[in-house]
Amino acid sequence: MRRRAIIARLAPYLALVPVLLFLAVFLYIPVVLDFAYSAHAWNSLSPTWRFVGFGNFRELLHDPLFWQSLRGNVLYAVVSLIVQVALALVLAAVLESGVVGIRLSAFFRVSYFIPSIMPITVIGLLWQILYQPDVGLIDQALHAVGLAALAHAWLGEEATALPAIVAVSQWQWFGYITVLFIVAIRAIPRELYEAAAIDGARAWRSFWHVTVPGVTETTVLMALITIFGAVKVFDIVWVMTGGGPNNASQVLGSYMYRSAFRDDRVGYAAAIAVVMFMICSVVGAAQLYWSRRRAP
Amino acid sequence: MKRRDFNRAAVAAGTAIAAGGWQPGRAAAAEPVTLSFLHKWPEPNNIRFFREAVDAFQKAHPGVTINMEAVADNPYKAKIRVIMASGQIPDIYFTWVGEYTRQFIRAGRVLDITHYMAAPEWQGRFLPATLDAYKTDGKIYGVPVEVDAKFMVYNKKLFAKVGATEPPKDWPAFTALLDKLKGAGVVPIAYGSQLAWATVHYIGDLIAKLVPPETRVADYTLKTPANKLFTDPGYVDALGHYQAFLTHGWFNASPNALTHAAARASFYAGREAMMYQELVEFGGVPGTKLGADGWGFFPMPAIPHGRGRQDLLTGAPDGFVVAPTCKHPDVAMAFLNFLTSQPQGALFTTDTGRPSATIGAVTSANASAATLRGIEDIKHAKGMVLWLDTDVESRVASAFLAGGQALMGTGGTPAGVMAKVRAAALQVQKEQG
Repeated sequence: MRRRAIIARLAPYLALVPVLLFLAVFLYIPVVLDFAYSAHAWNSLSPTWRFVGFGNFRELLHDPLFWQSLRGNVLYAVVSLIVQVALALVLAAVLESGVVGIRLSAFFRVSYFIPSIMPITVIGLLWQILYQPDVGLIDQALHAVGLAALAHAWLGEEATALPAIVAVSQWQWFGYITVLFIVAIRAIPRELYEAAAIDGARAWRSFWHVTVPGVTETTVLMALITIFGAVKVFDIVWVMTGGGPNNASQVLGSYMYRSAFRDDRVGYAAAIAVVMFMICSVVGAAQLYWSRRRAP
Repeated sequence: MKRRDFNRAAVAAGTAIAAGGWQPGRAAAAEPVTLSFLHKWPEPNNIRFFREAVDAFQKAHPGVTINMEAVADNPYKAKIRVIMASGQIPDIYFTWVGEYTRQFIRAGRVLDITHYMAAPEWQGRFLPATLDAYKTDGKIYGVPVEVDAKFMVYNKKLFAKVGATEPPKDWPAFTALLDKLKGAGVVPIAYGSQLAWATVHYIGDLIAKLVPPETRVADYTLKTPANKLFTDPGYVDALGHYQAFLTHGWFNASPNALTHAAARASFYAGREAMMYQELVEFGGVPGTKLGADGWGFFPMPAIPHGRGRQDLLTGAPDGFVVAPTCKHPDVAMAFLNFLTSQPQGALFTTDTGRPSATIGAVTSANASAATLRGIEDIKHAKGMVLWLDTDVESRVASAFLAGGQALMGTGGTPAGVMAKVRAAALQVQKEQG
């Protein structure tokens, strides 16, 4: 009996062990090691590591390319918050309001969602073609509607390369977040909308005073996911421009990759990774603090 | 018997001979041998050649197992770094020549194979310029497999449009031709620099022509004193020559928005008059709108009064090195001996369409007349200017790569780019002590 009780007590912990081991090997230990790496100057061929303390971080402070990359992430985050969170919420509310018919609403939901299930490489190559100067669809469309002055070599100009990539990301994830908001909106009791309607609230007021408060938790979560995504973005940038031209579309992820695998400065790349980790941690902690304060 | 089958039969017959100094019986009797082999040719045609070569060698040498792994060009750069850091170095692996290999040599990750290469079967096997690329301080560290060089390929029909019947002999004639083409409404040169490696092919060649060779070599190897490092005016001049292609309208518009492949497709469609291409790309030209005879090529013309070397070709061999940790270097060298034997070299060119570095392996039976002439040009060149991005330290290379794109946009100046190159070089030199 006693043995059985002990096994029953241990069972949940034993069930957790594989997952914990997996997380430890592939997440927690690498994170700890990354901090150690960042305090050293070393490369893939170094026979020994040279301890530099905060030297890599001091160098980051004076590295214009680091700041340029960080600005790239900030632009990514701000635009994503506006488009992927704010506009997606508005769109979700419109699709759920009954303004469009049920079938049309379903069609839009699926259409918006499809880009999020496409492989990033396919999206990158597809948009490379669309962004081609003169022969690409974007420039051709601008020429067709008399806006030839707005045509650009989108990925080839330093001023437009990063915004062009950011736009692709919005196109890819906008529908995904819209669908998540639709799920959240459906969880809001219909009585609240009916009560608002009886009180004479029109669509905008109903949205502002019923929908927005009703999806606050989802909004915060989506904002958090969006910011995390903006901080660790790498793949779409790497596929579309490799951080160019002339580093104009560099973000922290691509600069970290370049530092580690092109410039062979693993310690410096680890320091960039630590900065990315700290940004995500601060944002995550702020969200946690805010959620706990709001909790009843 | 088909040509390819005939080649294979020749390979089978020659395998035992090509085994060289290592006798299979000796090692096979003692213990089974396993070698790891890493390269960067995973594309279907290329990997088939290597797979069949490995199979043929294993068949001829019972007891030898070669575990081959192939990763594409770009990911290879990341993978090899990770492997080096892990210490699990493959017995035979690919590296780019120049500083890229030198850094591995300095770190003791490459075996000195000079004494193996002194054996009779290796003598006279490779074009001298290709083997020289694998020499450091008089020692040989690698075995070339293929050879590559850059040439300006031109569309004969568009040349004829402006009355040009033969390639320009020097820089003034070249620029005059570019102006003539532009005046006739033809885009003179197709160019895509979205992938930055394309930029340093131009820049590296121009630097070799405009910077004194001893200065260039000392700068590239960071042996120049700090106060003079990368300060020769020839560098700014070279970048100025490069930028002039854009500012004079000799390149297509917005090269930074096009990949090399996209620019090449446009050139093959007959839209531009010229394109700076690699010899390894020649195999694909006859199948395009240019046809077998509608195109020609010439080396980048000499710049009169340039203080550098005008008789060098930009390019490099590709090949393999052996790890010092390899427990059976004699077997590894026997495999490389087999891989670069004349029958295998011929098969390499037949299967992959890439020119083998082995003398006599590229013939009219497996290559076009243009490729053969390109090989002759390499044979007669006084040497090779290696790819700039693998011939200098990686951070210096990054500065050149970004600078090459900056000069194809609106924000870069030659002096500004060289200031960044010099800053990167100074930092690396300081760190290296």
